[in-house]
Amino acid sequence: MSEPAARAAGVGTGRAVAGFMARYGLIVALVVMEAGFAIVEPLVLSPGNLLNIVQQTSYIAVFATAQMVVILTRGFDLSLGTCVSTVSVAAALVMTGMVAANPANLPLALVMGVLTALGIGIAVGLFNGICISVLRVNAFVTTLGSFNICFGIATTISDGRPVFDVPKEFSELMYSGTILGVPAPVVIAIVVLIGIHLMLNWTVFGRSLCLIGGNPRAAALAGLPSRRYLTMAYVVCSVLAAIGALMLTARTGSGEPNLGGNVTLQSIAAAVIGGVSLRGGVGSAYAAALGALFVTALSNGMGLARIDGYIQQIILGCVIIAAIFVDRLRSGVR
Amino acid sequence: MAEDGRNFESSLPDYMSEPSGNLLELTGISKRFPGVLALDNVDFDLRHGEVHVLFGENGAGKSTLINVIAGTFSPDQGRFLYQGRERRHLTPHQARVMGISPVFQEFSLVPEMTVGENLFLGRERARFSFLNKRAMSSKAREVIAELGFNLDPARKVVTLSRAHQQMVEIAKALLTDVRLLILDEPTASLTEAETIKLFALIDRLRAQGVGIIYVSHRMGEIKQIADRISVLRDGRKIATVMADAISDTELVELMAGRKIDVLFPQVDHRPAETLLEVSNLTLASGIVRDVSFHARAGEITGIAGLVGCGKSELIRAVFGLVPIAAGTVRLFGKETTSFDPASMLRAGVCYFPSDRVAEGLALARPIRENVSMAALDLPGFARGQLLRRNEERQTVQDIVDRLRLRPAQIEPAVGRLSGGNRQKVVLGRGLARDIKVFLFDEPTVGIDVGAKLEIYELMKTLLEMGAAIILVSSELPEVLHLSNRVYVMHHAQMVAELTGAQINEQAVLACFFRDENQTAPARQAAPVPAGATVA
Amino acid sequence: MTSAALGASPAAKGGAAALGRALRHVGFLPALLIVLIVLLVLFEPRFMGMFNVFNVLRNSSALMIVASGQMLVLVVGGFDLSVGAVIALTSVVTAKVMAVMLEASPDEIPMAIAAGIAAGMACGFITGLINGACVALLRISPFMVTLGTSSIATGVALLLTNGIPVYGMPDTFVKDFGRAIWFGLPMPVYVSLFILVLVWVMQRQTTVGRYIHAIGGNVQAAMVSGVNTNFYLILAYTLCGMLASLTSLLLTARLGSGQATMSGNLMLESIAAGVIAGVSLRGGVGRVEMVALSALFLSILTNAMNLLKINSKIQTIFMGVIVVAAVALDQLAKRRTRDARES
Repeated sequence: MSEPAARAAGVGTGRAVAGFMARYGLIVALVVMEAGFAIVEPLVLSPGNLLNIVQQTSYIAVFATAQMVVILTRGFDLSLGTCVSTVSVAAALVMTGMVAANPANLPLALVMGVLTALGIGIAVGLFNGICISVLRVNAFVTTLGSFNICFGIATTISDGRPVFDVPKEFSELMYSGTILGVPAPVVIAIVVLIGIHLMLNWTVFGRSLCLIGGNPRAAALAGLPSRRYLTMAYVVCSVLAAIGALMLTARTGSGEPNLGGNVTLQSIAAAVIGGVSLRGGVGSAYAAALGALFVTALSNGMGLARIDGYIQQIILGCVIIAAIFVDRLRSGVR
Repeated sequence: MAEDGRNFESSLPDYMSEPSGNLLELTGISKRFPGVLALDNVDFDLRHGEVHVLFGENGAGKSTLINVIAGTFSPDQGRFLYQGRERRHLTPHQARVMGISPVFQEFSLVPEMTVGENLFLGRERARFSFLNKRAMSSKAREVIAELGFNLDPARKVVTLSRAHQQMVEIAKALLTDVRLLILDEPTASLTEAETIKLFALIDRLRAQGVGIIYVSHRMGEIKQIADRISVLRDGRKIATVMADAISDTELVELMAGRKIDVLFPQVDHRPAETLLEVSNLTLASGIVRDVSFHARAGEITGIAGLVGCGKSELIRAVFGLVPIAAGTVRLFGKETTSFDPASMLRAGVCYFPSDRVAEGLALARPIRENVSMAALDLPGFARGQLLRRNEERQTVQDIVDRLRLRPAQIEPAVGRLSGGNRQKVVLGRGLARDIKVFLFDEPTVGIDVGAKLEIYELMKTLLEMGAAIILVSSELPEVLHLSNRVYVMHHAQMVAELTGAQINEQAVLACFFRDENQTAPARQAAPVPAGATVA
Repeated sequence: MTSAALGASPAAKGGAAALGRALRHVGFLPALLIVLIVLLVLFEPRFMGMFNVFNVLRNSSALMIVASGQMLVLVVGGFDLSVGAVIALTSVVTAKVMAVMLEASPDEIPMAIAAGIAAGMACGFITGLINGACVALLRISPFMVTLGTSSIATGVALLLTNGIPVYGMPDTFVKDFGRAIWFGLPMPVYVSLFILVLVWVMQRQTTVGRYIHAIGGNVQAAMVSGVNTNFYLILAYTLCGMLASLTSLLLTARLGSGQATMSGNLMLESIAAGVIAGVSLRGGVGRVEMVALSALFLSILTNAMNLLKINSKIQTIFMGVIVVAAVALDQLAKRRTRDARES
């Protein structure tokens, strides 16, 4: 009788350690990693660089949050990256076109640019969402399809070239501007994160997404409108991608048909590293933000440590696989 | 069917030369699952050339025991002797290689492959991994003909009926050098003619020294083929008896034990107005045909039937989960037109699935969210899209306290709970909104006795509040002891409505067999082979 | 699976079902292919030009080989997103090894070619092995694993070349192999036919094919029946990787240089070819001859769009739509047969 009890106690401590690592492991890893980079290159920990990391994180955090919303429902969005490119090019075209036509109408041009971006986000999201939830096409195929569709659109409307002369007021608004001393991208990212956090925790829609991802059949039995909410999840994802695309466009000052190149991979990596489970039902804005911070700090550190960009790509691939493996272990703990 | 039986028999090795003694000997086998002690110190033995029947209620541990023997689960404790040698850490594959062939109710077939391909899966006739298709197909035909089954080896398994899939499964088990055959309710979906063929086959195998473990609920066939019977109850072996030395009544008493009086609460039924009335319901799948029944407030309406008779699909259809082809459903006197879970919940009907992991719970989410899941459209939980988390927390905490969930916390993930507590969480959904009609589908399957009792008590409370409860269960004592009226379903149809003193085991079982004789005029009433009756 | 087919009435639906089965067996693909070819022959004289036909055959050969590898992975219920990266990596590694060997000893041409091919095939083998091992042993989702290895392989390819094409392969490798015409047809045609026959035999006539299908159809059943599921899962991914490498060798030999950007759209097209050929994304179902047909179909379609001067960007859009539509239709048909079966 005592032997099982002892074993249970052993499992208990093991579980406590595992539980701690599941919760704070990433923060520990982050600190260790930064310390490691700091030994190679002390500049990593300089205030300037830390601020830089925070700024860069805000972009990936928006994309990771977008990805998190659909991963939560057991899906994912491969089209995120090319959706970003399409939005960037289209918004830039609209703004430059309107300003060229009538320079006086700058505010309207900016508004129209933003509306174009959101409109494209909604359209792409609806396409993905309807294919997945109504036509029951697997998320992988759907978003692979829309990946190509968006890529085609982005390169066609821009003719494969960057769209220059985006109004600098736009860049001031969404990139170089500050609110109460905080850089605009950081403000936007914080607003997005808080918004999604509130959505997941305080709205029926957000709650339903967690439950649908947690067990789609149970959600159906509980009378939740799964198809509608699932479609909306993809819309939210693409709209957030569009917001991120505007931020990036403001940063580069031009509409770029290749802007979203690495965004899909990075966003999935950040979300998964942050602890969003690919089996659905587990995820938060916090996880997405933390994952984004980790990915950013990793590439920032590697950059400062003068690690070749190609090697960075290799390391990112390894980190993704490792993160998924950790996710599997974590599910074992649970 | 078995005219040229020699061929087949000669293909099976002769085990008469096996050393005498037991083929299988289990001592002190225990197996624990989270929250349930599925097997508690069970001894079991099987001799060469005998049919040993396992008898017991659902959840008594029969299926755990055969899974231990088949190598699917390894026991936590106990000795496993097979052919005189101790075996540890058995895998399903090793078990098969050693001649243990299980035929489960959940089939181990690949749906998109043909019957022939399935029969030989894992032991193809092949040279340098090149398939000898001709040899396999002729062997497959031979075996199928030998068994007397009406099967086309070239058909894909996915296109077969459940009965035919069952036959494939049996044929597959017999294709190897089988020494120990496990049959888990093999006749549940077979016709009578097919059953007779199966019994003849069992006799031949027995004559060859094969040991057979046979799980069944059906008294008739148990008496027909059993040499010995072991009765399991609540994970413990109650007794092993010679089949010819025990009467049906004694057997049922052994199965149910004295616990009935202890376990089942005294329910006061006060039938009031009819809340649910189903008339001539036929499902698109045909698994329920022309069924009528009604349920009244203040009483438990039981629906009994064998596995696969359509009783579960019946209430799933009422809740809008399975498409209806014909018939009407009247709720509170009004005919229902929109069949979907959301409308049903709004109308005050809630369905509680039997498979809680697959259909009931989001395991990764907290208890709170799982309880309030079906009530998020109510003003008590959300104002429009905005959740009222404080109110939610309070309401759910109250429900959890009422259900006596232990520990009475609402934030841990449901995945951490035991079977009984998980079921309470699912049931909590019925308390989170104003539900008048409760559709319970196998509410106590896989949960321990204590939790069962609490669930029965909960039903009692619900009745007192004026609810109508429909209890669908394969566990006969449960239906018999809790229900005010019992409907019996058999082969997609409602065959009886029992009330008052009519509600007893014999009456229900009689329905199964009476029906079989009546509704199957097309089936040959072939005489039972002489060898099939067992001394 | 067990929930299917309770109390079906096969007699009534027999005729319709037989017709449906026949249609499902052959599918609309051959008809579609013939219509496409007839239209092109009638209205586009350039289509039948020698140069164009060779071009189509070369392209479809490459796609057929990648797609048959992709099919194996789809049949076991997975994906391989890394085939594109494997093609790039193989190309670079092969070219580099050949160039280096040739520089070291300019006379040992056969040696250099053999070493280059071996190194190239090793790329596919290793990537496939890693993919398979992660999926089978660590039980990581194939999507994430191959996304990860794809990133890694691309990174290695770029690292080796800095994005610059690798020249210096032996002339004979390019002239007598890559651009060779055997018996009036481009060499890759023969290679792809050989591979198709090989995969067909494996799929239909060997236990390997059977087990791969069984694993995709019902892992549990395969495991209980004594199939070493891990081994065959890994095998499927490894074969897929090696077939991608083989494709890369053909392409590299034709181009005459190793390029880290060579794969183009082959990854997407290989999945598209599989999906259009009716390979189920849930595993267990897929036939290599249909995959070959759909690869041919896609190649001709792309060619037709090129001849009609449709912008390559718009072709990408078109390809995306086709893939989603193919799966949507398949899904619809499946739902209908399921409903029919249940009633």
